[in-house]
Amino acid sequence: MDRAEKAGLGIAVVGHVLLFGALSLGLFSHKQPEPPPRSIEVSLVDKVGLEATAPQSLTPPAQSKAPELGNPEDAPAKPAEESEPEPTPPAPQPKAAPPPKPAPAPPKPPEKPAVKKPDAAKAPPTREATTAAKPTRAEAQATGAGTRQGKTPRGGALGDIMRGIGAQPSKSTSQAPQAATMSAQAAMDIASKIQQQVQPCANQQVKPGPGAERIRVVIHLKLRRDGTLIGNPEVVGYDGTDDDNSRYLDRVKDNAIATFKHCSPLRDLPQELYDVPRGWSDFKMRYKLPG
Amino acid sequence: MTLFRPMLIAALLAGTAPLAAAAQQAASPAPVAPQPSAPAPQTGSPTPAPGQQPPGEMIVDVVGGTSAPAQIAIPPMPTAEVQQTAAGSTDVLGRELALIVTNDLKNSGLFNPVSGEALHNISYPEVTSPGFEYWAGAGVQALVQGFVRANGDGTLTVGCYLYDTYARSELTRQGFVVPPSDWRRAGHKCADMVYTRLTGEGPYFDSRVVYVSESGPKGHRIKRLAIMDQDGANHRFLTNGQSIVLTPRLSPDQRSIVYMSYLNDRPSIYVYDIGTGRQRLLVPDTNLNFAPRVSPDSRWVLFSMAVAGNTDVYRVPLAGGTPQRLTDAPGIDTGGSYSPDGGRIVFESDRSGSQQLYVMNADGTQQQRISFGGGSYATPVWSPRGDLIAYTHMQGNFRIGVMSPVGAGERNLTDDWQDEGPSWSPNGRVLMFFRATQGGSGVADLWSVDLTGVALRRIPTPLDGSDPSWGPLRP
Repeated sequence: MDRAEKAGLGIAVVGHVLLFGALSLGLFSHKQPEPPPRSIEVSLVDKVGLEATAPQSLTPPAQSKAPELGNPEDAPAKPAEESEPEPTPPAPQPKAAPPPKPAPAPPKPPEKPAVKKPDAAKAPPTREATTAAKPTRAEAQATGAGTRQGKTPRGGALGDIMRGIGAQPSKSTSQAPQAATMSAQAAMDIASKIQQQVQPCANQQVKPGPGAERIRVVIHLKLRRDGTLIGNPEVVGYDGTDDDNSRYLDRVKDNAIATFKHCSPLRDLPQELYDVPRGWSDFKMRYKLPG
Repeated sequence: MTLFRPMLIAALLAGTAPLAAAAQQAASPAPVAPQPSAPAPQTGSPTPAPGQQPPGEMIVDVVGGTSAPAQIAIPPMPTAEVQQTAAGSTDVLGRELALIVTNDLKNSGLFNPVSGEALHNISYPEVTSPGFEYWAGAGVQALVQGFVRANGDGTLTVGCYLYDTYARSELTRQGFVVPPSDWRRAGHKCADMVYTRLTGEGPYFDSRVVYVSESGPKGHRIKRLAIMDQDGANHRFLTNGQSIVLTPRLSPDQRSIVYMSYLNDRPSIYVYDIGTGRQRLLVPDTNLNFAPRVSPDSRWVLFSMAVAGNTDVYRVPLAGGTPQRLTDAPGIDTGGSYSPDGGRIVFESDRSGSQQLYVMNADGTQQQRISFGGGSYATPVWSPRGDLIAYTHMQGNFRIGVMSPVGAGERNLTDDWQDEGPSWSPNGRVLMFFRATQGGSGVADLWSVDLTGVALRRIPTPLDGSDPSWGPLRP
């Protein structure tokens, strides 16, 4: 992130604040001149963007370790807040880094606490808490992303520094996976690519009768790396049926399956995002007729 | 202030998470209208997720389809070995059966069967292992294949397979064993299987129609009772034309036809027994009676009778008996038709000053007017599906229209000089009616139209025709 970008985001944030708009926003804008608060906001935005999409499962283990170490010492502030019960980091942490997947739940909870913490406590403790929380996020997302990460592990980890270090390197070695963590943008890109590839086949599906366009069918798809389908698509859900159109449901299910099968195998999807969490090895397609 | 800030940030983050991500990437200065949707990837889904999608899951939204007729191929049905049967040799039958299926599906207006070069002959083993690549390459989405086999006992077995060439899968299959005389029915049943599976509608091809066959000059028309398959095949006359017949209605059990005849110059309702060919007077009464219609359970006949200058709707057992009056309003109440559950009746009445449609309970209570458009309405018929009532709408021209049983959603399906007398297909998706030409000749023919107003076509009959009554699906 360049300064310019950050500034740009900051401006965007301010713009939103104005839009959402309250008079209080105006007050904020006046105060905003103070650098520290702004910087904090920007960093939050970045992290949020990354977090929202994803890295949850991959990186979490390392994060959890650091927080654990730090937690006992810094404990007072955190326990008070909601985040701790949910993350349930203790269990995974002792077990050590190896299982990368246990983390999915924790990442989000930390976010909320961080935001809320400022509210609850305006005193120094809040800062500690926030700092602690932030590093966890950063770690979770990508070790390289957050500059503050280093601080937290060091501060928190006394003898456990080794562990934290060990965890981080491992991640770095698997940098491909890191890059592979599915950001919101990447997920949107892939979804868009898939949609574009199957759209021609969707367009050829024939509407069985009036009202069928209200039905939406979800099918579950598993793909190989070469984009071919594993097994047959499975219908895992639908909605929009009523007394008038339920007789068309089976046909719309057919339409959904034929849409995908006729336009598979998929092509040109990023290999590094194949089997990451939320990757395209396993996803769902939601189909409906137009209208 | 400090209190507010975090909340604002939180709100902002929650509301614009995807946007923020996008902004990072593109550094776009002007944020688009933020969509407060889930951060999951969405490609143009206008509606929110049906089930909350778990956070760790990719969902691709696809919206697409067409209302054009589906491309379908029905190649000639091969036979393992050519054998002579009472209905002809099996290879010829295979070709004919494929044509029956083709015509049925084409006439529904929902399918566009390929013909000519693309429709190549298939081998017997290919029936169960279709060349998906070839057919998909030819633009065919659905493929119907079948075979014909002559059995030792003189019957025929017709196998019918439906494939989705895009999904490269078999959708359904059925086998039909028929006596040689009913060989065409195997084709209709195959077409019904395909139609049902691909549209979700009920079957209707394996059904028959009774109607009034007309010939001769206008002043001296000969009107005969006739019955035929839904596609015009197996046509035969039931009466000789010595007396005029009108408004024939096939009973749901398909054993009898009720109709009005001017036998002995006295218009009355008669019952024709299809099995024996005998006719009998239904209501032995000197009063004028007409407009018969049989109840869904084939036990009752609704009809109209003029007594002392007042015409009302009555019912009488199909087997004969004492008529029971259901309406008593002054004026003409006529044209009664039962709902499919037999619990209600739609009829027409001029009690308001013009012919309008009314609905009442089967016992005559709770009479309620349902038509309020311009012009007048006649010959109401309740759909076998129960959701609609078809009628003749007279406003200048005569048109076929439908509305719900409470009078909502009124719309006309045809727009010509004189369309009247609608009759529902067994599945409630198609209407057959008769269309009279403009001018002095007054020639009428049978037509059908899909409920969506498409697939308007003339039904082939040997002579002119009127007053069609579409029977139920054959057992």
